[in-house]
Order: sequence, then C-alpha cells, then structure tokens
Amino acid sequence: MTGAIDFPVRPEARPYLDAFAGAANEPEWLARFRKHGINRFAEQGFPSRRSEGWRYLDLRGLQDKPRLPAAAETRLPEITRAGVWLGSVAKAIAERPDLLRVALEDGTDEAFAALNAAFFAGGFVLDVGPGATVGQPIEIAHAASSGGSLHTKTLINLAADSRATLFETYAGDGAYWRNDVVDIRLGPGAVLDRIVCIEEGAEAAHIGDVRVTLGEKARFGAFVLLLGGKTVRHELSVVMAGEGARCRIDGAFVVGGSDEANIVTMIDHRAAGGETRELIKGVAAGRGHGAFQGTIKVRAGAQQTDAQQTSRSLIIGRRAVIDTKPELEILADDVKCAHGASVGDLDEASLFYLRARGIPEGEARRLLIEGFVREAVERVSDVGVRETLMERLGSRLATLEGAE
Amino acid sequence: MLEITNLHVRLNDGREILKGIDLNVGAGEVHAIMGPNGSGKSTLASVLAGREGYTVTEGSATYLGKDLLSLPADERACEGVFLAFQYPVEIPGVNNMYFLRSALNAQRRHRGENELDATQFLRVVRAKLKLLDIGEDLMQRAVNVGFSGGEKKRNEIFQMAMLEPKLAILDETDSGLDIDALRTVAGGVNGLRAADRAIVMITHYQRLLDYIEPDHVHVLQDGRIVQSGDKTLAAELERRGYGAIGDAA
Repeated sequence: MTGAIDFPVRPEARPYLDAFAGAANEPEWLARFRKHGINRFAEQGFPSRRSEGWRYLDLRGLQDKPRLPAAAETRLPEITRAGVWLGSVAKAIAERPDLLRVALEDGTDEAFAALNAAFFAGGFVLDVGPGATVGQPIEIAHAASSGGSLHTKTLINLAADSRATLFETYAGDGAYWRNDVVDIRLGPGAVLDRIVCIEEGAEAAHIGDVRVTLGEKARFGAFVLLLGGKTVRHELSVVMAGEGARCRIDGAFVVGGSDEANIVTMIDHRAAGGETRELIKGVAAGRGHGAFQGTIKVRAGAQQTDAQQTSRSLIIGRRAVIDTKPELEILADDVKCAHGASVGDLDEASLFYLRARGIPEGEARRLLIEGFVREAVERVSDVGVRETLMERLGSRLATLEGAE
Repeated sequence: MLEITNLHVRLNDGREILKGIDLNVGAGEVHAIMGPNGSGKSTLASVLAGREGYTVTEGSATYLGKDLLSLPADERACEGVFLAFQYPVEIPGVNNMYFLRSALNAQRRHRGENELDATQFLRVVRAKLKLLDIGEDLMQRAVNVGFSGGEKKRNEIFQMAMLEPKLAILDETDSGLDIDALRTVAGGVNGLRAADRAIVMITHYQRLLDYIEPDHVHVLQDGRIVQSGDKTLAAELERRGYGAIGDAA
C-alpha cells in the first residue's frame, strides 16, 4: 500500500503508515477513504503545539511511543422502534453505507481525523427518522482493555423533528490511545441531548473530535464531564447552519496528578437568529493542567445571534494550572454576544463555615469542589443521568489532591 | 464549661482587638455580651469558633477541661461548640440537606456513634423544622443561596437544633431581623435552653434580650469586659447608652 507515496512522510507517522494495510473485505468506496486518510496523516503527522487549537496540550508522550491500531469495544443497547436505526460501525458499513459515506466525505483532512478514517473500527451509527422520538436516554459504553490506539467513529443523524437523548461513557484500563471522531447532524426542528462522561484509564490518552451541524430551529444540548485519563482533549465544533438553531454547551473537567485535560469549543453561527449558551467549569489540583479554549464566531449573515459563554476555573494548590482562552469573532452588527471568565481558589469563608459545623477540612474541600462542578451538571435535564454523573464525580474527587 | 482567662488577641495585621478577657460560663447558663461596634464582640466569637486570621498573644480558653484554642475549627464543633454566624455564608452547588447531614454525621463519627442514613436523617429534620417554622423546600436549596435575611438566621438556629451543641455562641443573631422573625428565632433558641447547654449571645441591642432572657450580662468595650451584672444591666445600658457605662468603669 505504501508504494504510491510521493511526499515526505513525517517520522512520527511512519509506524502508522507501515501498519496500514486497509481492511481486506471492505467495499471499494471505503478503501478509498482509508487510503486518503492514511496519506493525509502521513503527510501532516501530529499537530504542532504551535497551532492555536493544540497549544495547551503536551502530545510528546503520545508522539514518541507509537500506539498501533487495536480493536475497540463499543457496547450498544438493542433498540427496535420504527424509524430508528442503531448499530455498530461494522454493521453500518454493510447495511447503511449511505450514512457513513456522507460523514466521511467531509472533514477527514485534519491529522487525527485522517488517521481515524484510515483505521476506524469501533463506534456506532444512530439514525432517527423524521418525527421519530426515542424517549429514554440511549446508553452507550465505549470500553478499552488493551494498549494500542483505538479509532472509533460515531455518526448520529437526526432527521427533521426527531428527538433523542444519548448518554455515552468512555472508560478503560491500560495505556491506550483513543482517537474518537463523532459526526452529528440535526435536521430542521430536531432535538438532541448528548451527555458524555470521559473516565479513561490513568495512563490512557483520549482525543475526541465532535463535529455538529444544526439545521433550521434544531436544538442541540451537549454536556461533557472529563474525569480521567493522562492526556484528554475534547473538541466540539458546532455549525449553526439553519436559522433559529439553538445550542447549549455545558461541561466540566477535573484534572489532578500530572494529567492534562482540554475542552475546546467552536460555535460557528452561519445563519440568523441562532442562540448559544455555554458554561464550562474547570478544576485543577496537584500538578494537573487544564485548559478551556472557546470560540464563538458570528458570520456576516448571522444577524440576531444571541450568544453567551461563561467559564469558571477553580485551582487547588500552587502547582496546578488552568488556561482559559475565550474568543468572540463577530462579523454581524445586530447581535448579542457576551462572555465571562473567572479563575479562583476555594473560598475561605465557605470553607470555615463548613468546618465550623464539624466537617473535616478534606471533606469540606470536597463538598465545595463538588458544589462548584454541580452547577454545570445541573444543566443535564435527565435525573437518572445527572445522578450517575454526580456519583462518578464524587468518586473522582475522593482521590483528588487537596480534597481527599 | 467555658473559662476564658486574660485573653489577648491580635489581627494578623498586628492590631490588638481583645485586651484581656475574663469570662466564666457554666452549664445551663445564658450569657449576653453587649457592646458598641468595634468593641471586639465578633472577634471573641470568631476566636472561640476557630476562624483563621487571629493570633492569641496571651491568655487561655478552657472548654470542658480542654485547651479550646489548640483545636482546629472542625474538632471544636465536634466537641460541641457551635457558632451561629452573623453573616451566614452562601455556598452555591452545596445542597442544604446534604451539608447538614455531612455535618451531623461528622460529629456522630467523632463521638463514635453510627452515621444516620438519608431516611433517619430526614425524620430528625422534619421534627426540628417545625420548631423554627422553616419549609422543607428551603432544605432542598443550596446552602443559604437566595435565602432572605430572616431565613438565613432561622437556618442557623435550625442547624443548632440539629447539631445539639453544648456551647452555642450566637453572633448578632438578631441583626437584620424584623419583629416576627426575631420572635421565631428567639422561640427556637428558648426551646434549646437546657441544663447541660450554655448559650453566649453577642448583641449590640437589648431587643433580643427581651425575648431570650439572660442569666448574666457583660459589657465589652475596647477589648475588655468593663462591667458584668444580671439582666437589669441590659436595661440600664438601653437607658443610658454605652458611653455612660464606659465612663463609670
């Protein structure tokens, strides 16, 4: 397969290029995408820290030790409902190539997305037909139990006026690298809530790239909770393509040890009357390093856009670091846009109040940190999911430096 | 129960606020400490509860035979010392009920008792809420967030009722209360008077003492107790003002 390469290959991409064989029994259209993907990755290699979106993440550990593709594991529920199709990526290749092809056709040029296109095996496809509704949250578990790199691809397609809620967890054991690419498309009037809890293994890396396109009056609610993994990056790009589309982006990270966690969001208002509400909370302890980069772009035609972005950071101890970089790019003149950011330590008065009631210092700190993150978790409307998230948060905080 | 001897306290910026306090509080007694603004009343309450930012330069405070000042704030609370805050702190994201259960269970652990589960705890809460005319919805909100001034003070006394301290220090519990709220709060405190519990009320005005009758009244001025007496002293203060007392001393 490598015979046709006619450009210089980046050294860190070489092991992946050598491992690339293409899957033997796949259709020709897919083989073409995979080939395109590996070539694009071989040419670009890993993103440089000099590129804006990657400046807060240290990828050297990942770059220096290649983690070759391994099998990913995605656990899906059975859904039998008219107008709803849910299946693994392997099943989708055979049964719903129409959906996958569309997703692959745009956006496989960035380095890790290209690598994902070359190797993706796990992940799932959800297609909800016009007007169909899935009442209960669909729970999906992305597991990992090996080393190597797991390239998962997810496609979520909601047709006009359909509705669904997804609750996805990412967890595992081992020094794996999960390279996850998620494509979400909402038709006119469609409503999707997607709640994600990332709790990867202590030595694991997680690079998640979520791309969303919203049709007219579509509503998208995203919630992400980053609790574990050595190197974790969650990128969310939303294109507000249809008029009157609304999105609500909430999330939080808790980072300790010498781990890194990044949340990167880009909301691109391309049509009039769109609304964005965004709240990101970050907690860093120990030698942890967290970052939030959030851009809201309002294009010239996107009049009457109403966007609000808020980020709050809590730094526990003197060696933890949080970087925040909010950015508004506004090219329309009749818009309401606001952003606010704050960084602080635990409030001494609150701490004393709790201790004056008999609560030991460590527990008091944990209560305050939990309360700080809860404000974001409370935006999740499903009570069961919210309780699960608070429980996961509680067990994460039990081992966080300065809260134990 | 509490013996304070020649207590001198400085702020971390070096200013001396308490300049030799002597005070003995016995079990079952209610003491009122009155004084003008800036006399050191709230500093005394803070130092007894273990707030940071103060340095004891001289003297001692012994509580049930223990050196109170050497204990961290949470241990003091577990040993039965309670401070009703002048300005109860708002803590967003921390549920009132959850907070109070954590506090009660921390104190029970300290005493070697079993922790209460959510159901047992709720039973105790419901019984005590009635005492202070507090709605159960207030318990489901974040600690003091969005509470009115009166609700905050009632919540303090409710916490006192839940935690059943041996020594309760009420710091300006009457400030910011209208007459109805004052009655409710005073009713709550009176209901908590007991032979094995001491109460120290810190107040600027005599008003509170019309509702909670003290056994002893002390006047604090410029970091010293300048006069002590029974409840008639409070009435005299009201009539003649702090200035007159100070001159007499």
